[in-house]
Amino acid sequence: MLEVKNLCKHYGGIRAVDGASFTVEKGSITALIGPNGAGKTTAFNCISRTVTPTSGEVWLDGERVDQLRPHKITAKGLSRTFQISRNLSDMTVIENIIVQSRVEGIKGLFRPAMNAEEKDKAMSLLDFLGITRIAYEDGHNLSYGQKKLMDLAALLMSDPKIILLDEPAGGVNPSLMEEIIGHIRALNEKGLTVLIVEHNMDLIMRLSHKVVVMAQGRVICDGTPEVVRKDPQVLDAYLGGVLEEAA
Amino acid sequence: MAVSLQQSSASAVIEARRAHNEKLARRADQTRATWFPLTLLAILIALPLLQFTGNYNYLLHLVLFAASYAAMASGWNILGGFAGYISLGHSVFFGIGGYFSGMILARYGVSTIVTAPLAGLVAAVMGYLIGLITLKVRGPSFIISSIALLMISRILFDNWELVGGANGLTLPMNDLPVLWAKVPYYYAMIAIAAFTVWATYRIKHSKFGLGLRAISKDEIKAESAGINTRFYKVMAFALSAFFVGMTGAVWGEYLTYLRPNIFLLILVSANLVLMCILGGKGTIAGPVVGAILIVALNELFVATMGASEINILGTGMVMALGLIFFPLGLIGTLAKTGKLPRVLNWD
Repeated sequence: MLEVKNLCKHYGGIRAVDGASFTVEKGSITALIGPNGAGKTTAFNCISRTVTPTSGEVWLDGERVDQLRPHKITAKGLSRTFQISRNLSDMTVIENIIVQSRVEGIKGLFRPAMNAEEKDKAMSLLDFLGITRIAYEDGHNLSYGQKKLMDLAALLMSDPKIILLDEPAGGVNPSLMEEIIGHIRALNEKGLTVLIVEHNMDLIMRLSHKVVVMAQGRVICDGTPEVVRKDPQVLDAYLGGVLEEAA
Repeated sequence: MAVSLQQSSASAVIEARRAHNEKLARRADQTRATWFPLTLLAILIALPLLQFTGNYNYLLHLVLFAASYAAMASGWNILGGFAGYISLGHSVFFGIGGYFSGMILARYGVSTIVTAPLAGLVAAVMGYLIGLITLKVRGPSFIISSIALLMISRILFDNWELVGGANGLTLPMNDLPVLWAKVPYYYAMIAIAAFTVWATYRIKHSKFGLGLRAISKDEIKAESAGINTRFYKVMAFALSAFFVGMTGAVWGEYLTYLRPNIFLLILVSANLVLMCILGGKGTIAGPVVGAILIVALNELFVATMGASEINILGTGMVMALGLIFFPLGLIGTLAKTGKLPRVLNWD
């Protein structure tokens, strides 16, 4: 579904991503892990084209997308969230969500911002995430966890085929994390492909079908969680024996 | 006992939250007091009837002047208020509109009131082209680029012999009696202002407007939400230029002369910005309220203090005080605190 080939992003002399290649299978939950500074978020940004990669290719459903502008990539069915929730303050939650719905052509630009259909869809997404009560709240007034949930709802508004989640459970409490895990799993069961960057090992090991490990801008290992947790290179570079203890 | 106390306070919290959410939902669905702007418009349309009872040219001039600024400030608001790109170069489009229609009037005798929409289109095309270049930067860089645009245009028009250079151009006066000479421009300006306010309302409540608001908050987020930010911004620039250009066209014939130091003046642009800030950037009624207030205050202070420097100080003091107590502008702050009278809720 998503294929990243030899992706590089250099900032001056720093090689944030240095020839990373990996694939995300259709219908899977793939996790991208690695120590801080491994280049995970930069790789994410290059895939969604929020930053321009120095070189390399990104293919989505057999189509090369690394030269498209971000909104085009979103239109092709790849949506992302941001590590630090970037919600639009001074707009209500429902506006924050509906802003992500698709707009077709010039005529579409000047139709009403929120038609009944979109409102229903946004409300059903909020209902799915259990936050309908904050629909008309200003995006500014939300708690951190609510923002994370709102991001997820907004993401789904554009009917994506694949979603990229940048630390969806970063900084949220354990019970909300369980809730988010449940939502991701439910979405995946409906056929949505998920690529996820996360630091929480427990979440990764429980949720993902495949784990890609990055270190110093490169992919050092990929495979099922079981394979990855036993890989000596991974243990060396990143996990440092934490998982050995757990196992 | 302690348990039941906890339960009752918990249910009180839930109850309070529910009431709060219901209030928010109600506010979102609240019907607008459309009768108020429509009544205002009706009064303004009837106003020239006063001419049958005496000479009210001064009043008509003031209303016309305020309407022209209301139209331009509302137009500016599309780019500055919705999309968050502060332009200090919008007098360029005022000039383009004025000169385009003025030249047609001077050469072919067609009234600018007829050619105003065309002048708006010319301004919009220029706005589109300029926007393609200048909207690549944002924040202070964009403001400076807009000032540069104004200065370049000023030099250009000052030296363009075809349009009279720095001396400008005199336009023919209409041959109506003095009591009725202002009336055609009065109606034209009221029509342009009303159309602009209606258009900004439609834009704000469209997909396009929602996208512009997203751009003003976080452009990267907006782009990754699927919004073609570059196109939206350039369109916003073109549309805002359109309304300013239309106003410029009628203003030129009303003044009966075109000169670069009247049209291509940073003061005009600055006024648009001040009106939107005082009234409330990004609201529909804000630019109109701001335009009326600033025109009225200027007039008041000139009348009471004379056309000295002190009158400028007076307007400045009122602006400063207004912004201390209403940091988001009158309409913006009142709306935020839920104290906006319904008649002024045009959003």
